[in-house]
Order: sequence, then structure tokens, then C-alpha cells
Amino acid sequence: MYRIPIYIGVVLLLLGATAFGVSLWEGPAAWHTDMRTLWGTPIALFVLWIGLAHAGTLISAIFLALGFPLDRRTSMIAELSTLCSLVVAAMFPLLHLGVIENFYMVIPFLDARGNFANIRSPLVWDFCSIAVYAVVSTIFFVTHLLSEKREPLKKMVRPMSWLLFPLVLWVHTVVSLDFAVTFVREWQGAFFPLYFISGAIYSGLALVIILLMAEHCRVRLLEKLMLALSWVMAAFWLWEFMLKGTFSFEVVFLGAVVPQLLWLRPIRDNSFVIMLVAVSVILSLGLERYILVTPSEYNVGNAFGWVDLGLVVFSLGLFVTLFFVLRVKLRKPLEGDDVVMGELSVQDEEKANPVVGELSNNFHLLRLPLLVGFLVTLLYVLWAVSVVPDPMISLSVANIAPLCLPLLVLVATVTLCAKSFWQVLAPKAKYVLVVLMGVAGMLVGMFWAGGSSAAAPGAVSVQELATPKPAEKIWEARCASCHGRDGLFNEKFVREFYPVPQKLSLERLDSLGMDSLVSVILNGRINMNAYGDRLTEEEARGLVFYMRLLAGEGK
Amino acid sequence: MQALAGCRRFTPDMSTSGPSLEDFVNEVKLAVARSRSGFDLVQIPMPSALKTSGGSPLNRFGMAIDLDACNGCGKCILACMQENNVPLSSKERRASGQFMHWIEMRGGAPSMCFHCGNAPCEKVCPTGAASHTPDGLSTMMYKRCTGSRFCGANCPVGARKFNYDDAVKEGLSRRFNDQVPLRSKGVMEKCSLCLQRLQDSKHSHMAMLPGMEWRGAGVQTACAVACPKHAIIFGNWLDPTSPLVKAAKRRNIYAPAEVADLDPSVVYLRGNR
Repeated sequence: MYRIPIYIGVVLLLLGATAFGVSLWEGPAAWHTDMRTLWGTPIALFVLWIGLAHAGTLISAIFLALGFPLDRRTSMIAELSTLCSLVVAAMFPLLHLGVIENFYMVIPFLDARGNFANIRSPLVWDFCSIAVYAVVSTIFFVTHLLSEKREPLKKMVRPMSWLLFPLVLWVHTVVSLDFAVTFVREWQGAFFPLYFISGAIYSGLALVIILLMAEHCRVRLLEKLMLALSWVMAAFWLWEFMLKGTFSFEVVFLGAVVPQLLWLRPIRDNSFVIMLVAVSVILSLGLERYILVTPSEYNVGNAFGWVDLGLVVFSLGLFVTLFFVLRVKLRKPLEGDDVVMGELSVQDEEKANPVVGELSNNFHLLRLPLLVGFLVTLLYVLWAVSVVPDPMISLSVANIAPLCLPLLVLVATVTLCAKSFWQVLAPKAKYVLVVLMGVAGMLVGMFWAGGSSAAAPGAVSVQELATPKPAEKIWEARCASCHGRDGLFNEKFVREFYPVPQKLSLERLDSLGMDSLVSVILNGRINMNAYGDRLTEEEARGLVFYMRLLAGEGK
Repeated sequence: MQALAGCRRFTPDMSTSGPSLEDFVNEVKLAVARSRSGFDLVQIPMPSALKTSGGSPLNRFGMAIDLDACNGCGKCILACMQENNVPLSSKERRASGQFMHWIEMRGGAPSMCFHCGNAPCEKVCPTGAASHTPDGLSTMMYKRCTGSRFCGANCPVGARKFNYDDAVKEGLSRRFNDQVPLRSKGVMEKCSLCLQRLQDSKHSHMAMLPGMEWRGAGVQTACAVACPKHAIIFGNWLDPTSPLVKAAKRRNIYAPAEVADLDPSVVYLRGNR
């Protein structure tokens, strides 16, 4: 049924994968960057795709929450597009990093060495919001998918949509803050959150319209909404022009002028033209993002190279392949028994009081999860404010505030659906779930502990220390954890510090001399702790001799 | 050669691999010729103790660049490259005027990281690799840097340089100074106010005179040593006996308009000489 889109998707994916591979291999130099344009295409694609990911939840969750009648199949298609766009969007911030394997340092979770992500940075908020958004919208999708045949899950869909509603808006606000908090003139503006949210919903609607077209279905409500948003975007573009004088003809033409074709009846009736209009909207928004992230100063000739183009193609191919493969695989639960698609006629009882009646029901279900979420968030905030390891970082609650809503929504969602999912699960699946949670707990523990920083096998016991101490024992108990058993420093332990401990070479020991080394051991230096309260001067002298011994052996 | 380098610990035989000194000299000449446009300068009061939490009440290191003395020769750039093992740029980047230099000529005078007390780059660094020392230096922990380049995007003067290329592998860097690590591909770097010299001084002070306050007396940055006109003065803003405070007294102190509100530690001097 969807063979042709899948083939097209795979071809695009393979073509783009070369560019993706080159970018992974070469790092940020592969695409258009220079000493001023530090971000470039991946971030543009990230913002575009995270925006496209919003429409699914918007249509499904927000329409559901506000009582707009849309049939289940349309919502499912939109939600599936959200998940696939999120996968595509998640690739690009990783690709963007200079040192990809260090990405975990962005997670705001203290490790055993006291390293803590800089929670003041919008990038940390961004990472957390999007991770939570991915988890919650996956849970929402699965719940929605399984809810038709399983009664306990059916009740959960609407309360969950109320949780997702603010999260959608929050996520894109945080993405816009990546730009708006900086000093780059082109990126400043208090209107950025609203501007980004409107742009995201606008482009996302266009994507859903195209995907519904592949189902041979059109939803007038969405087309009307798209037209309305074209005016909102036009207003924002005018605002930006008045504020900064920046203006791009292509963006405004494709994004604000072309959609006005929908006013004409003959055009409105032609599905193909509608699709072209939707494509033009996505193109306009993509272009706008690209222009935004590449402020130029150096005139680099090959500004938009083949790698940039390849990354665009890659994202498109990945999305198309992922979406249509999942669409085919999930055909049965997606389509259900529905034949009709699009808007539903409103039933009388719902029409009478679409929001308020449901609201109180939902609120009963949501009370406990919200309370739990609130308490967990409160605990996290108190903990995060108290653990900041660097006295130079002054952290206020306002710095953590952007993390609060995602955390609250995550905890509330899990609390809300844990019980009903447990009821629905098969006995075997329950065992699997418990094992998986155990593994997840272990992973968290491993992350906390980091790599091994143990001093040595056969560490010295306290009792041994109590007896008269040979220098070797003291060295292994007190010094070896940083300086290493053999006097070469323990790289794993000290990788977080700069400068690393001095290499204890023979020349260096000689040049410093016995007295000053003893003084360093007893009184400390920058990263070297003072041991005067634990060692006598005699013992320190012994350590210096031992250090000389080690340095001699190392030669 | 040593006079040209103006670098305290420069020993030609420390590293024989990598590009020759000639290449570095040529790149500096090119960079000086391609000087970028100058800043709009704004008059500011003399820097005082850090207003952010955790700042030291004794030390705040900084520099002053005397615009009346500077003639824009560019010797500071070369000295900085040698002190801090700053790599050369690839041919393509050089052609478009992009260099890894920690010091750049802006409007005929050197400019580097201004070590803002209220630094915007440190606030947006997701991992905390860009951080502030109590002594007022804006520092980089290379091992903790994940290369998100957010700090670079948020620096109002563009003082941060990103290692797009693997300089070691491409033969663009040379280890002049054994005490400074070579930066790997994918991390940010910038002026450190010769952190290693300050550390050295502090270490020996604490070893030799334990219990006495260390004010960084006698420390000089490589650029300050190299300047033939003595236009770059390094010192401690909080120490009245520091050459920096003596030089800046009764002079007009300026900072670029972009960073004037951010409490910079590196400033320009002008007038009343």
C-alpha cells in the first residue's frame, strides 16, 4: 500500500546517510560553519523537526483536551508523525556536538565526583524538556493505540492529553530560549517563544496535512487553522522586520503569500495544490530556521555545501522511511474499525458542555498524579539548589524553573498510567518490565559512580594505617587515588580537573627540593589537598623519598 | 629568535615536530594585515572585586592595554601562540580570515577575552566546562567540554575559538610550551590570561611561604612580556601595589560597548599619560 513512499524514503535515507557519515567523521567542520557561524544546519534541522513534532500532539492532545471532535485514526496518524519527527530531531543536537561522546555531561544529575551539569544553561533545559516530551508522547501514543480494546486505558487518554497540552508549548518555548537568551542580535526578542511556537505549529500542521493526503483524506479544520496561522506568522515576520530590519523575501513569500491561495475555491478543492501549499509552508519555515542559525561575517564561498543538503535529505529520508514503515506495521491498531476519517459530527451531549463536564472527571483522575509530580519536582529543586559544587556558580530557583514543568509532567504521567498499564500487561510482560526497571536502576547507579577511581587492588585497611606507617602504605592509601600507584597520575580520576596533577618526574622533584615538597604535602596547593592534619612532617618526608623512588623506577 | 618570541620559557629544542616558527610568524603577519574593525569604546570605572558569589576579596587578575602606547605590531599574538601552543589555521580558514589566535587585532589594537566578571559564556555552557575562578579568570576545562559551541555563540566579542580541525593530526600545532596541553578536536578555547603562570606562582608561593597571602606579584602574561612598547600591563586589580593598578590610576579606562556592562577584567587605557 505504501510501497512507493517507503522506496523513496529509503533512497533519500541512503543518499543522505553519506552526508551524515561524513558529518560524524569530520565533526562540525563538515557543514557550513566558521568562527562566527558556530551552529549551522544541524541546529536548523533540529528546530524545524522539533517544530514538526508538535503538530501531532497539538492535534491529538490539545484538540482532545479542548473537546474538538477529530476521529481516532486522524489523531493516530498525527501522533505517529510526532514520534517519527522526534527521532529525526534527536539526531541533530548529537551530531552538532564537537565531542559527541561527552553528551551525557548535559544531564543534570550529580555524579560521585561532584560533577553537575550547568543547570543555568538553556541547553540543559532543552535536553531535559525534549527527553521528557519524547517519553510522554510515546506513552500517550501507546496508550491511545491500545485503548480501543482495553477499558482501563481508555479513561487515561483525556487526562494525559491535559498533561501534554502545557508540555508541548513549554518544549518549544525552551527551544526558543536557546536563541533568545543569547547576545546575538539576530536572536534576541521577547516574542521569540510565541514566534517559535506559532512557527512550530504552523509547519507541523502542514506536515500532517501532507500525511493525511497520503491517506486520501482531508480535514478542513486543519486547513483553516493553517491559513489562520499564516497570518500569525506574517505578523511575527513584520514584527521582526520592524525590530531588527531583517527580512527574507523567500521566507515571507513561501510562508505567508502562497497559503493565501486557499481563499480561492477552485484551488481549495484541488488536493494536489493544497499539498504544494503545505510543502511551501514547510520549506519557508526550514529556510527561516537556516537563516536564523547562520549569522554571517566571513564570506565563505561554499556556504550551503553538499553536506548541508545531504543532512536535509537524510532527515527527510529518515522521517519518510520511519513513518511509513511504522504505518504499515501498525496498520491494525492504527486503523481500528474506523472507516471514516476527518472531523466527526459533534454529539449532542458533548456539545452541551464539551470542556467543563470532562474537566471535572479528568481532574479527579489527575489529582493524585499531579500531587506526586509536584512533590517530586519540589524535592528535585531543593536538591539541585543545594548540591551545586562550585561556589562560583550562583544558582537561583529561576534557573531551575524551566525544568520543573517537564519533571512534573513526567512524574504525573507515569503515576497516572502505571496502575492501568499494570492491569493491562500480560504476566510475562510484567516480569520483563520489572527486569527492565532493575537494569535502568543499575544504569543510573553506574552513571552516578562514573568510571572506577579505586586506589588499587588490595587497598590498605584502617588498621594497617593505625600501626607505624611505611611510606608505601601511606602513598597507596592517601595519594594513589589521584597520583596513581606508580606515581603516574590516575587519568580516569582526574579527567575532570584542569590542570592535571603535576607529573612527578625526577627533574621536577629535584628542582623543587625536599622542603618545598613536604610543605606542599602538609599545606596543599590548588587541587592538592592539605594533609597536615593527617600526616606528620616525618611521614611527609618519607613520602617524598617514596616519590623519588617511583620516579626513578618510571625511567 | 628568543627576542622575537618574547616568551619566558621558550626553548627551541622542546619540540622539533610540527610547523616551523617561520610559519607562525607568517600567519601572525597575515592576521595583523587582516585586522578586523575596532570596537566602540565606553568609559568604565576601574574593575573592583567580583560581584558574583564566591569571588576572592584579595585577587582579581586582569590586564590593561594602553592604546596610547600600542602600535599594533602583533608581537603579542606570536608570544601568545608560543606560550599557549595555539595552532595554525588550515589554508581555507586562513583565506577567509579565520584564525585560532587568542589575541586578535581589532582596529589596530590587540583584543582578547575580556574575562567578564559576569560572563555570558559561562552561563550558557551546559556542562560547566566554561567556569570562573575566584581570582577572576574565565577558564576552560577542556576535558569537560562537549563542544556545543553555545559559549561561542553567546560571546559578545567573539573571543572564543573552536577547534574545528584536529590540529595535531594535521600538523598545524607545535608544542612550544610543555606546561599547556594541546587541545583536541571539538573543544572551545580562548585566552586564559596565562593561567599556568599564575598557577606556577601560586604553587611556589604556597610551598615557600605557607600561610601568607598570595597576590600574584611578579607574574606577567606572555603578551605583556613580549610587548616592546609595554602597552600591555598585567596585574591584580585589588592589589594597590600591582603595576596594573599603578598604570591605570589617573588614566581613562575604556571597554568595548558590548562588554562594558559585564564587568570586564581586561580594559583599554587612554589619555592623561
